[in-house]
Amino acid sequence: MTGRRIRAGAHRAVLFAALWLALSGAEPAGLVPGAVLVAGSVWLSLRLMPPRRPLRLWRLVAHLPWFLGNSVLGGVDVARRALAPSMPLRPGWRRVQVALPPGGRVALGGELSLMPGTLAAGTQGGALLVHLLDTDAPLDRAIAHEERALAAMTERAGNG
Amino acid sequence: MIADWLTLAFGAVGLVFFVAGTVGMIRFPDTFSRLHALTKADNLGLGFIALAVALQMESLADIVKLAVIWALALLAAGTVAQLVARAALRAEGSEDRDA
Amino acid sequence: MTGWLILFAVALVLTLAGALWRVWRGPRRADRMMAAQLVGTGGVGVLMLLAPAHGAAVLDVALVLALLAALAAVGFVKASTPDGAGDPEEDAPPAGARGDDR
Repeated sequence: MTGRRIRAGAHRAVLFAALWLALSGAEPAGLVPGAVLVAGSVWLSLRLMPPRRPLRLWRLVAHLPWFLGNSVLGGVDVARRALAPSMPLRPGWRRVQVALPPGGRVALGGELSLMPGTLAAGTQGGALLVHLLDTDAPLDRAIAHEERALAAMTERAGNG
Repeated sequence: MIADWLTLAFGAVGLVFFVAGTVGMIRFPDTFSRLHALTKADNLGLGFIALAVALQMESLADIVKLAVIWALALLAAGTVAQLVARAALRAEGSEDRDA
Repeated sequence: MTGWLILFAVALVLTLAGALWRVWRGPRRADRMMAAQLVGTGGVGVLMLLAPAHGAAVLDVALVLALLAALAAVGFVKASTPDGAGDPEEDAPPAGARGDDR
């Protein structure tokens, strides 16, 4: 077991334990089975998805309010377009060059899909294909900000 | 009493977003735009519904559970939208009209 | 209060029915795959609204539905792509990809 594996295991154990407490309502009777299940889940998840780059959990948490706020804006934006009689849409595509580590592009795509006006549709030649609801909207800065935030969540390989 | 009014307000707002998602699904001209409507509007609607219901629940455990369900739905929506969009893009060009 | 919530639930089911029109009409397969997502989000919403009236156990059903809907959507995508591809990071230029702005 390397240090990276232990660290990833600890992160996942915290996550799974929190999930168990939430689902079981933190009932005392559920603590022992929960401990067994968390240990089993961590083992299984490390087998199925070996850790790649260490994650900075606090960055992830710090990013949450921004993400939630934007997903609300995304819903409002699309609802406004759908309900407006004139239905202002200018659908189009954009390729976004992404330099994120493996796993990062999917995360970015998933996030973009919930943010105003963008929807990821897989990768092509290392670039993320993004569908835009309004090609006139200034979205480049938002996408770049998102990518930087995600990149900051993982540490560069080597110093983890 | 105030909680009841807030429940009504949040529930109504949630419903508006679900209606908007449906209107988008019907009105938007192409598959990808429709996917935008479904993913974003419906998930925001679900968030407001969860908020409305949370105000009526008595135990903290149930409120936390509502939050977990919404978080899972959000996570799933982002991933699924991406997968469906990609599948639609792949099928484009080749015949994919099965109707 | 629960009366109102049930009324909301009924209205929500009606919006789902409206969106199902699109699933029925298509025209593309992806339009139909959205049904999984639709029933996932909408169904979870309906179940949440029923929780105060029918007890918190309904929330467990909602949780399971949310999880299963995501899996169903992944299954649809895997079944509909020619090579059963599911990983959006896998680099595979789609047949008719329109990567450029247009």
